[in-house]
Amino acid sequence: MTSDRTVTRLSRILALIPYVLAKDGAKVSEILERFDYTEAELTRDLNTVFFCGLPGYTPGDLMEAYIDGDEVIIDAADYFARAPRLTSMEGLGLIAAGMAILGSGQGSPELGTAVTKLTKALLPDAYAAIDVDVSGDSNNLAALKEAATDRKVVRITYRSLAHEEETVRDVEPWAVVTTLGNWYVHGHCRMVDAERVFRVDRIREMQVLDEEFERPEKLTDPRIGYTPSDDDIAARIRLTPAARWVLDYYPVDVLKETKTGTEIRFTSADAEIPARLLLRLGSEARLLEGDEVRERVAAIAGALRARYR
Amino acid sequence: MQNVVERVINLLIYLLDSPSPVTADQVRQTVAGYGEQSDDAFHRMFERDKDLLKRMGIPLELKATDKWEIDFGYTVDPDEYAIPNPGLNEQERVALSVAARMVRLGGTNAGLAGLLKLGGVEVGAGIEPLAADLGAEATVLGDLFLAVSERRKLEFEYGGSRRLLDPYGIAHRRGHWYLIGQTADGERVYRVDRISHLEVGKRAGAFARPKRFQVKRAMSKHPWEAGTDETVDATVRFDPDVAWWAARHLGVDAPSDGSLEVELPVANRDAFIGWVLGFGPDAEVLGPPELRQEVLARVEAAVEAVG
Repeated sequence: MTSDRTVTRLSRILALIPYVLAKDGAKVSEILERFDYTEAELTRDLNTVFFCGLPGYTPGDLMEAYIDGDEVIIDAADYFARAPRLTSMEGLGLIAAGMAILGSGQGSPELGTAVTKLTKALLPDAYAAIDVDVSGDSNNLAALKEAATDRKVVRITYRSLAHEEETVRDVEPWAVVTTLGNWYVHGHCRMVDAERVFRVDRIREMQVLDEEFERPEKLTDPRIGYTPSDDDIAARIRLTPAARWVLDYYPVDVLKETKTGTEIRFTSADAEIPARLLLRLGSEARLLEGDEVRERVAAIAGALRARYR
Repeated sequence: MQNVVERVINLLIYLLDSPSPVTADQVRQTVAGYGEQSDDAFHRMFERDKDLLKRMGIPLELKATDKWEIDFGYTVDPDEYAIPNPGLNEQERVALSVAARMVRLGGTNAGLAGLLKLGGVEVGAGIEPLAADLGAEATVLGDLFLAVSERRKLEFEYGGSRRLLDPYGIAHRRGHWYLIGQTADGERVYRVDRISHLEVGKRAGAFARPKRFQVKRAMSKHPWEAGTDETVDATVRFDPDVAWWAARHLGVDAPSDGSLEVELPVANRDAFIGWVLGFGPDAEVLGPPELRQEVLARVEAAVEAVG
């Protein structure tokens, strides 16, 4: 079905008409930019509009729409003098985007007033009913974003999730991103001479070096999580339904799924991660296979018993 | 597609321009593109076109054509059709456009399509060094936003049972969307990605939201603060190795050197014990004693579960 494309195309036409009407003609170049049109697409849509109008459909009933020199002309379309309302997802999307950027400490005062105006217009009696909080460690975030913008190398003291050890690395920060509740810096790690993703909250100390780097022209989406390797340890774990949330947070393979539980394969570079997870889960999980993980659980449990007794 | 686009625009103009609701028959006889169809083909076409209008967010309504309510017809109220104008100035529109390019919701850039209706988007100055992905629970979220904004009641499945809720607000926390509202048992918070079989009430304005309601206050900062357990103040010690990291998560000042000891209000013991055990042997619950015992019990349960 092409109906998604039809909706997109119609929505853009209904947004374009009031804009041009209000300006009493607009430059073609401006329209192409604002409405993200190619010239061919714009011409095609104007031709379509030209054939629409009030019943009767005589020349006097139809809208006027054409390109005259470097200007877009639309006329006789009073019923489309105002743009249609935003869909729920468009409205929420815009408010959430604004709040997310403001919450990351990277917004401008204009963004602040834009979000307030939009929220009041869309939720007149409930403007405190939406909230997006993606705040992280604001000092590191701001410094990292600035370093990424200025293309400056940073030296970080990083405590890795996999090995529970600290390393000092020089990193070329390409972008700072948040997903699934955590902030990450995506870039080139000079220590391993490869593309890497680091969790911002695990950067213990950071220093911006006076050294510029070149960023790749195109960024791919960062591969968040861990990269499998041959040295990995693997464990087979059975989760009760109450522990199913593990699937959202860890890169696991689902082996079997029934009403009474989920069987997963958990691979990681270090037995510490699944071991700590199993401790958290208590009786909500069962280890089916994985000697290293079993030994590690026993070791941590021993240390904890000594502490608690 | 060309025919569909023309026909739908003509249909919309007719609906906006007619002073009273129009029947399907009138649409068929009047609007260009419908006339030459068979009965079946017309009805399929008309259903599809109505669906397109609804998906574009256009408020198509079915209303009685006369006060005796004998015939029903379709109408689009021009005032309902148009955007409530937020009155953004140019700088605000540009700021929102830049934000929308940086944030993804449901796998696409959030609200860029909506910005066209607010005066167009702004081509960015290249790659923004900041990006946020707010998750992918998009289909349900749109309905929840609608229900919150129009005060419609909700019914849905959650954790194996049917829930009825007056939705007060929605919030994004720690990577997930939450729905907050009033149930027969009091105020409750639900994770949106666990909601299924959602039904939105037909009536707008179906409940009153407390005037002072603020979703920010209704949401807890940490998962162990939200729960039905009797709240206790737990004392935890973090060893020097992890103290800085714990301090950062808790939003307290990091110890310059050495360990960190904090007191935290706990209303969800299960979540709290899980969080503390995530630190392995580097964190210890000092009190109260029964919470300490629960931590140990969890450890023993885990030891047993690994066999």
